[in-house]
Amino acid sequence: MIRAARRTGLVFFPAFDWAISPSHPEREERLLYTQDQVLEEGLLDIDGIVEYRVRPATYEDLRRVHFCVPDEAAVTTESHLISAGGCLVAADAVLDGEVESAFALVRPPGHHSRRVVHGNRGFCNINNEAVMIEYIRGKYGIKKIAIVDTDCHHGDGTQDIYWHDPNTLFISIHQDGRTLYPGSGFPDEAGGPNAQGFTVNIPLPPQTGEQGFLHVMDELVMPLLEKFEPEIVINSAGQDNHFNDPITNMNFSARGYSTLNAQLKPDIAVLEGGYAVENALPYVNVGIIMAMAGMDTTFVKEPNYDRDYQEQPPEITRNIEQIVKQLRDLFLEGGLKTVSYEEGIIVERSRDVFYDTDGIHERQHEKIRCCRHCAGALAIASTSNLGQHILAVQIPVEACTACLQIGLAWFEEGTRGAFSHVYLQDRVRGIYECT
Amino acid sequence: MILGLDVGGTQTDAVVIDKGQVVVATKTPTGGDLLTTLRTALENTLRDVAPAWLNRMAFSTTMATNAIVQDRIEDTGMIVSAGPGMDPEWFSVGPSYHVVEGCLDHQGFEAEPLNRVAVMDAAARIREEGIKVIGITGKFSVRNPSHEHRIADWVGSSFYHVAMGHRVSGALNFPRRIVTTYLNAALHGLHKEFLDALVHILNEKGLAAPRYLLKPDGGTINLDKSIYSPASIAQSGPAASVMGALALDGCEGTTLVLDVGGTTTDMSVVLNGTPLLKPNGIRLGAFQTLIRSLMTHSLGIGGDSEVGIAEKGGLRIGAVRRGRPMAMGGPAPTPTDAMITLGLLKTGNKDAANAAMEEVGGPLGWDAATTAQRVLKHMAETIAESAKVFIHDINSQPVYTIHQVLEDQKIEPTSVLIIGGPAPQIAEYIGRAFGLPHRFPHHHGVANAVGAAVARVTSEITLQADTERGSVIIPEANVENKINSSFDIEQAVALGRELLSQQAVRSGAEEKGLEISITEKQMFNMIRGYARTGKNIRLKMGITPGLIPEWKRSHYE
Ligand SMILES: [Zn+2]
Ligand SMILES: [Zn+2]
Repeated sequence: MIRAARRTGLVFFPAFDWAISPSHPEREERLLYTQDQVLEEGLLDIDGIVEYRVRPATYEDLRRVHFCVPDEAAVTTESHLISAGGCLVAADAVLDGEVESAFALVRPPGHHSRRVVHGNRGFCNINNEAVMIEYIRGKYGIKKIAIVDTDCHHGDGTQDIYWHDPNTLFISIHQDGRTLYPGSGFPDEAGGPNAQGFTVNIPLPPQTGEQGFLHVMDELVMPLLEKFEPEIVINSAGQDNHFNDPITNMNFSARGYSTLNAQLKPDIAVLEGGYAVENALPYVNVGIIMAMAGMDTTFVKEPNYDRDYQEQPPEITRNIEQIVKQLRDLFLEGGLKTVSYEEGIIVERSRDVFYDTDGIHERQHEKIRCCRHCAGALAIASTSNLGQHILAVQIPVEACTACLQIGLAWFEEGTRGAFSHVYLQDRVRGIYECT
Repeated sequence: MILGLDVGGTQTDAVVIDKGQVVVATKTPTGGDLLTTLRTALENTLRDVAPAWLNRMAFSTTMATNAIVQDRIEDTGMIVSAGPGMDPEWFSVGPSYHVVEGCLDHQGFEAEPLNRVAVMDAAARIREEGIKVIGITGKFSVRNPSHEHRIADWVGSSFYHVAMGHRVSGALNFPRRIVTTYLNAALHGLHKEFLDALVHILNEKGLAAPRYLLKPDGGTINLDKSIYSPASIAQSGPAASVMGALALDGCEGTTLVLDVGGTTTDMSVVLNGTPLLKPNGIRLGAFQTLIRSLMTHSLGIGGDSEVGIAEKGGLRIGAVRRGRPMAMGGPAPTPTDAMITLGLLKTGNKDAANAAMEEVGGPLGWDAATTAQRVLKHMAETIAESAKVFIHDINSQPVYTIHQVLEDQKIEPTSVLIIGGPAPQIAEYIGRAFGLPHRFPHHHGVANAVGAAVARVTSEITLQADTERGSVIIPEANVENKINSSFDIEQAVALGRELLSQQAVRSGAEEKGLEISITEKQMFNMIRGYARTGKNIRLKMGITPGLIPEWKRSHYE
C-alpha cells in the first residue's frame, strides 16, 4: 500500500455543467482530463490522500471580502459559490487538523476579482483565495497569511484586495505585464500607505523555464516568506505558465510545478488558470497533488516533454537574475523607498478598471486613512457604465477606534449622498450593510 | 424450482424455492473442503426434491476469497506498460512483475510505442521462472486496448492463460487494473478446477438446470462465463444477504439492512428496491480491485461475540469470538446467552446462560436479567453508532456538477430491516437504538441463500466515444469501432444498449424485459483554440442488481 508522507486533502470540483460560453477556455471539460489522469493514477486510493465533498459558500462568506454591485445575486452564479465553497472545505480540512495540506482543484478561478465586483474580469467573479482567507481569519483567529500566486497572469484582483493589509503578504510571479493580460504587476506596485512592502510583484520575461522559476523560488520567494513568518501559506496555483498553454508564452513544466510545490509546501493550494486542458493540466495537477503529499514525482512529466520542452535561453537567465537582484534589493535588503505618512491623513487615488469578459468600464476613487494601528478605514466610490454609482466603505479586521469611527462617518455621509447604493463592510462588528 | 446456496464462514445455508415460497431451508456446517461442503449441503437440501424439478441453481461460494486470503493463488507473471505518472514499480505484484516502455495518453493516443524487445525479454524471464499464466495491463488501456492486444499477440501463445486489463472494467484506475488483472490470471487455474469439480458433482446428482454464481455486486453470472473473470465472484456473501433482504421484504423507501450473524453485523442500504453500489471496487485481502460490489460495511459484533467489561467500566462487545455461547458449552459470555437468559431464545442451557450474565454483571451489582437487557441494548446501540458513521460516509462522497451540489441528495434511512439468525431476538432493541420502524422477514435465517437463488444477472459497460480519434470503445465488451464526426449521444446510447444486452444474455440473463439503466451520460465538446475539433461522449450503462423476473412475478403480480 502506497502512503502519502504528508496527509493531503483534495477538493475536486470540475463543474462539468458550467462554462462562460461554449468555446471559452473556461468551459465544461477544463478539468475533465485532469480528472481522468487523477483517477487513472489511482491517487485517491493512496493512504493519506483524502477527497472532500464541496459545499457552496454563502453570500455572508463573500461579504467579508467583496462589494458586489448591485448585489451578490447579480454577479455570481451557483458555480462561483461552489468554487469558493470548495476552498472553504479545503481550509477547514487543514485547520481542523484532518490533513496537513489541501488542494482545492476548483473552477471557475478567482484571482482577477477585486474588492468591488461589477462583473467578470479575466474569467473571474469571486476571489476564491480572499474569501477563504477572510473565512480563516474569522473562524480560526489566524492573522499573518502569505499568498504566493504562481499563475502566469498577474493576480491583480488579489493584489487589490490586500493592497492595504500589512498582515497579508502577497507575492505574484507572472509573465511581464507588458506582454500579457492584465498588464499590471510591476515591482513598484508594492502596497498601499499602510502596507508598504507587503505586495511583491515578480514579472518574468516570456520563455522563462524551470530554471528561472526555481531561481526565483530560491532567491526571492522562500527568503521573503522566511522574513514575513506567516502562520499559513496559500498558493494561487495557476498552471498557465506551462509550455503547452495556448494563451501565454512561458516555458514551465509539470516537473517544474511539482518541484516548486514541494519547496513552497503551501498549507492550501487553490487552482487558478491553466488552459492546456489536455496536455498540461492532467500532468501538472498530478504532480502538484503528489508533491503536496510528499511523494516522489520523478516520473511525472508530459508525454511530449522530451520532444517539446526547451531549456530557457541564456539571455533570459541573465534577465531573470537581474530582476531577482533588483527585487532582493528592494524587499530583502531594505532598498524599498517607503513614505512615512502622518497618522490620520487620508490618501486618495483614482483608477479605471476594465472587465474584459463582461465589457464593463469602472471608474474608482479610493480613500484610505493612514494608520499605524490597523489596515485603515477604506472608502471606494465606484461608477460603472452600467449606470451604477456606489460607495463602498470597509472597516478592516481589528480596526482601531479612529478608523472605525471615520469609516462609520463615511458610510453615514454616503447614505445622504447621490449614490445608487452605499455599502458598509464592518469587520470589527461583523456587519455588512447595503442601502 | 430454484436452488440457492450460500457458503458462509461457519454455516452453509441452502434453500429451495417453489412459486415464490421457500419450501426447503437447510444449514450445513462449513467444513475445511469447499467441495465436500457443497456436496453435503446439496444432499441435505435436495433430499425430497427431484433433480428435474429444478429450473435454476445459484451458488455463492468462498472459493476465490479463500484462495486469495490463504495465498493459494497461482504464480503469475505481469507485463505492465505505464508512461508518466506514479512510478509503476510501486504497483509490483506477484513473483515476476515487469514494466516495459510504451505509453498511451488519457485520450488513448500513443505517446510512446511499445518496446517489443522489452516485452519479449519480460516474457522470457517469466517463462524461465516456470510461470504459466500472465496478466497484461497498460495505463489507459480502457481508452485504447491496442498495446495490451499487441503484447498478447507477441507473447501470449507461450502461456497457458493470458488475462488483459481492459477486459476487467471500463473504470479508470491503473493500480487497481493491475491488481485485478493479476487476480484474474492467478485464479484462472483454481477456478477452472473448482468449476470442473462442481459440475462433476452436479452432473453426478443429475442436476442439469442452468447454473449461476453470485458476485459481490449482488448479481449473478452464468457458471461457464465466470471463467473469464474469476476474481469477480470473490466475496459474494454480503451481497447474498442484501439480495435476500430485498427478495423477502421488497425494501420500499430507504431501508437500512442489517445482517446480524455470529461474529459480524453487515450493513447496507437499499433505495426503493435497488441496493447501493460502492463507487470503487472491492478490497480482497490486501488487494484493492476494480471488482464492482454493493456498498456494505462489516462490524465485528454478532450473537457469538465475547461480552465483557471495558476498562472504563461500561459493557464491551466484540470484536472477538471465543467460541460458542456459554449456554452451548462455550468459554465466554455472549449476546446469545443474554437472549437465552431473557427467554427470547429457547435453546441451550438456561442456567449456563444465567451464569454467563452474572459473570458479566455481578461485579457491577446487576442481576442476570438486568445484565442481559443491558447487553442487548448496548449491542444495538453500538450497531446504531456504526450505522451512523456508515451513512455519513456515504453522504460525504464527492460530487462533480453544480446540479448534484444543489440537489444535495442525502441518504436518510426510513426503516431498518434485520436478517440473520438472531433477528427476532434483537429487533426490538435495534428499533429502539435507531429510533426507526423496524422489521424482520420470514426466513430471516436463510435470507442469504434466498438472495443467491433469486438475484438476476448484472452487467455493465463503459462507453467512450471520441470523434477526434474517430473511435468508440467499450472495453468490457472488447469492442472498438470506427466512427465519424457525426456520431452523437443517441447513437452512443443505442450502441451501448445493444452491446450491454448481448453481454447480459451471454452471462445468462433473460433477454425479455432487461432493465437497463444509464448511470452516467456526458458529452463534451473538444476545442482547440476557438474551434470545435470533436466530441467526447461518455456513458456508463448497466443492469443494476435486482431480482429475477420469476420471483417478481410470483410476488408482485
Ligand atoms: Zn492565468
Ligand atoms: Zn486604524
